[in-house]
Amino acid sequence: MMNPHIISALVSKDLSLFFRNRFIAVITVLGIVAYLGMYFAMPGSVDETLEIAFYAPVIPPVFNQMKDSGLELRALESERAVKEAVKKGEYLSGIVLPTELMQKLVAGQKPTINLYFGPDVPVESKEAVEALVTELLYLQSGKQVALSITEHILGPDLVGKQISLRDRIRPMFVVFLVMFETFGLANLITEEVERGTIRALLVTPMSIKDLFVAKGITGICLALSQGVLFMAIVGGMNARPLVMLVALFLGAVLATGVSFIVATMARDFMSVLGWGVIVFIILIIPSMSVLFPGTVSGWIRAIPSYYLIETVHQATNFRASWHQVGSNLLTLLGIDLVLIWVGIAALRRKAR
Amino acid sequence: MNGNMKGDDIPCNAIVADELTHWYGELVAVDHISFNVAEGEILGFLGPNGAGKTTTIRMLTGQLKPKAGKATLLGIDISKNVDRVQGDIGVCFEETNLYEQMSATENLRLFARLFGMHRFDCDALLERVGLGGRGKDRVETYSKGMKQRLMVARSIINRPRILFLDEPTVGLDPTSAESIRNIILQERERGATVFLTTHDMMEADKLSDRVAFMNQGKIVALDTPHNLKQQHGRRALKAKISTNSGKLEDREISLDTAETPDAIHELFSREQVVTIHSEEASLKDIFIKITGRELE
Repeated sequence: MMNPHIISALVSKDLSLFFRNRFIAVITVLGIVAYLGMYFAMPGSVDETLEIAFYAPVIPPVFNQMKDSGLELRALESERAVKEAVKKGEYLSGIVLPTELMQKLVAGQKPTINLYFGPDVPVESKEAVEALVTELLYLQSGKQVALSITEHILGPDLVGKQISLRDRIRPMFVVFLVMFETFGLANLITEEVERGTIRALLVTPMSIKDLFVAKGITGICLALSQGVLFMAIVGGMNARPLVMLVALFLGAVLATGVSFIVATMARDFMSVLGWGVIVFIILIIPSMSVLFPGTVSGWIRAIPSYYLIETVHQATNFRASWHQVGSNLLTLLGIDLVLIWVGIAALRRKAR
Repeated sequence: MNGNMKGDDIPCNAIVADELTHWYGELVAVDHISFNVAEGEILGFLGPNGAGKTTTIRMLTGQLKPKAGKATLLGIDISKNVDRVQGDIGVCFEETNLYEQMSATENLRLFARLFGMHRFDCDALLERVGLGGRGKDRVETYSKGMKQRLMVARSIINRPRILFLDEPTVGLDPTSAESIRNIILQERERGATVFLTTHDMMEADKLSDRVAFMNQGKIVALDTPHNLKQQHGRRALKAKISTNSGKLEDREISLDTAETPDAIHELFSREQVVTIHSEEASLKDIFIKITGRELE
């Protein structure tokens, strides 16, 4: 039977000790400030000008006359140069016209046009470029022409939307903040064992269950409050507040479970830092999947924080519904339960 | 002696250890020890480092499960129902284990809350252990003696019926040590049973109703200091006499033989006695006699 008075006494003690550890307190506050600073320093909007590279052995005059607002066509020296530039992300797409284009147009034959796109160019943009090519060649020939257009995706094909860099980086920052609590809570637990205060607690009417519940509440409160604060400031709670709250809560539980395991392995503050950094680096790897879509392999799903990052990304940037992120949240919940159970079992063993 | 008494003024046993045993790997730390401590009694548990005193305390307070045997506190088997007795015990550990980044007041208030003590006069308790006026200071700024007094204060916060004190005065200055001894006596006056481990024989002699000698995990003697001295000690008269050449010589006369009166008479009639005093065996001497080893 758990005792709420004992648990609340332990939680207030832990919160008080957390903020009296100057290193952890300063790092926590600096973390929030730094991530907010970096977030607001990122470009907040996407450049609307469509920059398109093209290569044609004989440039149709109409391509040179194209000076529409919001559209920039730039001729490159070869098809290879076009592909390289698009691959590097310098242009939204590349258009390669065949050598015999003009002759075919005159003869009423069907020329083949190659279009090159980057991995996460949205379908709408691809359609716009296709329409542009058709329109330009119509203008050039003065009649409707039949075209054979082939699309090439340079890199993995992503059907996505354009998201500003700072919105892409938002899930990463929030996961940084939530997971950073692994250090703070693991250190609180390790100090309890290292300084022997846990022995003093265990000879009072407090049960070991009270102790773990109190530690869990402390960890979840610290991680959740920072996550919510950050997301509230950067507008991440606006799209799907409930989904976000649940995701952050499950993230906070994940951080708590991980910190229990780190505390089991660590003996003192330095080893908390050592083990914590290793775990922290592993946990933030999945944020690459949001920053660089399509560049990470499937194994990344084996990292528990993937489901948190993916949910935060989907909910904030694409207004994903419960239905769309439900499987992520359920997976995260399952992982949380396993980690908390393993963490408590290991800590109980250590405490004894 | 206070405390509840059974019908014929026989005090109830607050602590009963029955064949209590614990080992760490190959090392048998506590080897089938049995003893009782009556309510309101102070039992001094004496032994050198590594004798098994702390392991015994840890088993008695539910921190460690006995590998064999059982222990009951206030009639409750602690292996099965330790939670039922924890509100009635207080433990003062050998090593300092306070929340050093918190103040003394915060430390005490935390433990008062854990014991469910809503009305608790923190200042009075701090005053009692000689820390009046220092309650708001962080514990990390305290001296060793002050920390130890705070540890004792924490152990009596719940007015425990059984108080376990593990080497409470080790390494302390005489003033702090005396202050802690006074608190132990006050707690006994209040009716608490005190289980005191120490390797300070003088302290044990002064405070304890009974003492147990522990050596290599076993209790090798258990009785009142007086009885132990009677059974194992040797009383003697020690005199310094002046010889004809003016030198000083020592004479020792045993007080426990039939020839003692004659020997004393002869000493005073024939020799020039410069100083004389009686000497009683100390617990230290008896411990060495029984175990063949020093306490330190």
